[in-house]
Amino acid sequence: MTAAVSASGRRRLRGPKFALAIPSIVWYLLFFAIPIAFVVIYSFGTKDQSRLLPVDLGNLTTKNYSDVFDDTFFKVFRATLRISVVATAMCLLIGLPVAYFAAFKVSEKWRAVILAAVIVPSFTSFLIRTVAWRIPLAPNGTFSKWLSDIGVIGEQGIQILQTQTAVQIAIIYNYLGFMILPLFVALDRIDVRMREASKDLGAGRVATFFGVTLPLAGPGIIAGVLLTFIPMCGDYVTATVLGGAKGNMIGSMIASQFSQAQNWPLGSAMAVLMIGAVLLVLVVSALIYFVIPRLIGLFEPLAQSLRAARHERSVAAMAKLGSEPARVARVEPVRMAMSVWTALVLVFMFIPIGLVILHSFNGGASFTIWARNPSTKWWGELFDGGSTTAMLLRFVAIIAVALVIKRILAARSSLPPRSLNWVGPIGFGIALIVNGLVTDWFRDVFAFVSIGDAIRNSFLAAFGATVIAVVLGGLSGVALARRPGTWSKMFMATVFLILVTPEIMDAIALVTWFQRIADIPVLGYVFREGIGPFSGGISKLWVGQSLYASAVVTLIVRARLAGLDESLEEAAADLGATPARAFRQITLPLISSALIAGGLLSFTLCLDNAVISTLVSEAGSTTFPVALLGATKSTVKPFWGVGAVVLFVITMAALVFVARVLRRSGESSSQIAATLAGS
Amino acid sequence: MNTPKMPKEMKILAPHSFRERLSRRAVLKAGTAAAGLAVVVAACGGDDDGGSSGGDSGGDSGGTQASGDWSRVINKASGTLAMYTWGDYNDPDIVGALAEAELGVTMKVDYFNSNEDLITKLATSSGASGFDIVVPTGPYIPQMIEKGLIQKFDKSLLPNISNVDPAYLAQEWDPSNEYSVCKNWGTTGFYYDSSVITRELKDWKDFLDVCMNEASGNCSMLDTGPNMCGVWFWANGHDWNTTDPALLDQCEAFLVDEFAQHVKAFDSYPSTALAEGAYSISMAWNGDARQAYYRIAENGGDPSVWKWVLGAPETELWMDNYCVPVGAPNPEAAHAWINWELIPEISVKDLQYHGYNTGMKNMSQLISELAPDLEYGDMIFFTDEQVSTFRTQEITPAIDRLVDILNKMKAKAGG
Repeated sequence: MTAAVSASGRRRLRGPKFALAIPSIVWYLLFFAIPIAFVVIYSFGTKDQSRLLPVDLGNLTTKNYSDVFDDTFFKVFRATLRISVVATAMCLLIGLPVAYFAAFKVSEKWRAVILAAVIVPSFTSFLIRTVAWRIPLAPNGTFSKWLSDIGVIGEQGIQILQTQTAVQIAIIYNYLGFMILPLFVALDRIDVRMREASKDLGAGRVATFFGVTLPLAGPGIIAGVLLTFIPMCGDYVTATVLGGAKGNMIGSMIASQFSQAQNWPLGSAMAVLMIGAVLLVLVVSALIYFVIPRLIGLFEPLAQSLRAARHERSVAAMAKLGSEPARVARVEPVRMAMSVWTALVLVFMFIPIGLVILHSFNGGASFTIWARNPSTKWWGELFDGGSTTAMLLRFVAIIAVALVIKRILAARSSLPPRSLNWVGPIGFGIALIVNGLVTDWFRDVFAFVSIGDAIRNSFLAAFGATVIAVVLGGLSGVALARRPGTWSKMFMATVFLILVTPEIMDAIALVTWFQRIADIPVLGYVFREGIGPFSGGISKLWVGQSLYASAVVTLIVRARLAGLDESLEEAAADLGATPARAFRQITLPLISSALIAGGLLSFTLCLDNAVISTLVSEAGSTTFPVALLGATKSTVKPFWGVGAVVLFVITMAALVFVARVLRRSGESSSQIAATLAGS
Repeated sequence: MNTPKMPKEMKILAPHSFRERLSRRAVLKAGTAAAGLAVVVAACGGDDDGGSSGGDSGGDSGGTQASGDWSRVINKASGTLAMYTWGDYNDPDIVGALAEAELGVTMKVDYFNSNEDLITKLATSSGASGFDIVVPTGPYIPQMIEKGLIQKFDKSLLPNISNVDPAYLAQEWDPSNEYSVCKNWGTTGFYYDSSVITRELKDWKDFLDVCMNEASGNCSMLDTGPNMCGVWFWANGHDWNTTDPALLDQCEAFLVDEFAQHVKAFDSYPSTALAEGAYSISMAWNGDARQAYYRIAENGGDPSVWKWVLGAPETELWMDNYCVPVGAPNPEAAHAWINWELIPEISVKDLQYHGYNTGMKNMSQLISELAPDLEYGDMIFFTDEQVSTFRTQEITPAIDRLVDILNKMKAKAGG
């Protein structure tokens, strides 16, 4: 194309390059940068309990920082780092064979099954799964007694609960999925021909893996390590629920400064230092990552001679045996081993979920202690008022009728089959209306005991926050990929900061910020009185949960677009499309799968959000994790298991719906996983 | 010790000595400035628990009425009533179906983990927290009044307050009950497995010693700085509200350098973990320790080997209170509910659930009439003599230090 055309014929977006990112920039300034800046300032203040917010900024001092630099902080920090590094490495070791198996060794159908099995557990409440680990780890539990009966362990039972080991196991469990996904995507992208070429050239399986596959999977490994290591460092919930005195982590220590000690200045200083330290660790590992291959390069001649020797041997062997049978004989055991390993890992991922379901039928008063008399009483509470049962019955009946009608129409009418697809949804709509107007129905569905409100609030909050995250993340992702510039470095730095900031710091920043802006006309009103039918508490949850989620969506969309060149958009512009139209008709379809995947990921993250939500929620906007986190401090009743299962079922129903839409749009499981993992 | 039934002579605390205890502690000795210093941790409270199997038949009070002269005014109300309280701290019926049936209000209950969390929540929401009832521990009330977080009661809506034993009214933190009324009170002791720890334990000194020997690596302490450090002060005959730096240094030297490595967990509600088999000895609030009996039985264990020991020679005394926050959306319902909770039958039903003394007048008569089957009464009610050894927490500048000691212990234990 000529310069003349591109200059005159193409209509370009006017305004600054970052125009599309402006909503995100405003959002992050308003709800991240400024509030966090206050917390950073707090770290130079002094504690003053007599104020409404217990910080005196009258005389700034660096004393908090020197206070942090004592033994305690470093010890806990070292323990945290050790747990995180070990857990990251274990996730990599455990997850790599699974990802490899899914990427290379199974059919497309099984691949989808394995990926679904990896993703599904993350749609069960993170907190209840962590609590559920107490069940098999309890020294007096059934599992422990069984182990000691068969003589594997001594009389005293399993001595793992309330140790670093318990935290270690649960952390590996909680983050394994976030490692497997990006690994799978990276492996899946590798051109099979590269591996075949390697083998044709005589490299063995091991040499191919280390010489070809692993290096090509590098970006996936980095993504996996970042996705697991960073949140582990700030993890607060796992250590609190399972850790005891020996499993203390830095996240809980910072949180206790803010809540128990009310020493916000010291807590802020700790959080600032922690962010710095995590960044430092990342920089150092990045350096190592670049140095090691070069070091390995030094040994290249040696490796080459080894490879040559092996090649000669295998050529000789092939000549003797004929290559085909030999290969099959060698491959099968490895494949077997990998499938067994994958099965074991998947079982591992579903253990807590099985326990949650089992213990929701516990007849006792405590979720973790199986009282030996199974009972449906906790489930019974769900249907106590009868309104839930009646509502479900109406639903089932109407949808059943709709499906029957669909059958009949399909059998004897000449309507085009496509229009029949609407019968199901229309039946669903009628069911909604029959069950009262949509709003009433919505209230009724959750009108069981107090837990119903928590579930409803969880969905309201997570849904709203996801919408915000997808819009903000989508726009800024496009801007980053298509209009990079100096601004994009600043912006990426902010996104990265959002990812590494410990949640408790965000929480304190936001909660004090909301208090500061309470009197500002419009803004304050929104958070005090709410928007329309949604309370102020829900608005606060939207903001709080949207931060991390929008950062994740931004990265996913950017990665997706970066892989596609700009020629389509350019062509649209050349053909006279306005920027708005080109965006709607070209860019949006290109990123739709990234938006859906990002939305899904945001939704799970928001649904599980406990720390920020605990601080910003108000009466009437308490979400499930907030309520459950409160309950974990005393006795968790089996009813929470019921709630978690209900939450899970509703989420899965929504997921199945999304999956059908995705399938209709022709995405393969690999592509979905790819976008989910952001690469 | 673990008498399954109430002893015939009921050990109800004597109002007189209790009153003295509570009012001796001058929270505000230093005038208003001190109120501001309040800090941390709390203690208190809490607790909870669970109800469980023991108490959950608790509905029995429904049928019978206590004899005597009681005020039983019920004010109807409407709408939603949101309460912010300690984990699992009321009978589910009383904050659920029963309240709906008798008062006409729909209850929503959320939980906090410390008084500081409660104060932060109220302070940062500018009176828009949406809660109608909150449950702070006594010593925290003055700073909440000062910060404008809780509002004065409309006493005309609380006629049933006359059912409360005067010993639990007019406390130091709110001398004319303008802002608060007693929910219940409790104390701290420890709970151990006598099949593992075979010697007889009598006081905090024994407790510390056992934790460093037979029960090393198998003991738990409360997860709040002042209460946990309190053990050392009580065991050694010091005032646990001291601000003397030398004593604090000694306390730190012992707890951090010698004791921390033996602690398995800092757990404020050890009853569930006890039943799971996690500890052989635990420092616990009395109501939670009482719950542990039920949990252990549920898990197939033998509760009779577990022994409860009230902290000695001195131990803690705390009282949690109902208050109405500033900006409560439904203060009428809040008053109606609090007033209803002060009816003896309701109060005793609640007591059976959480296992803390709710402070009604004539408690021994109420229990014998309304809850004759109450188990482990010696963990709820205490003799005059016992009460005279109870000490209430004060909010002093030393609390920072105590929290710091707890953090150091955690670091040491995990190191």
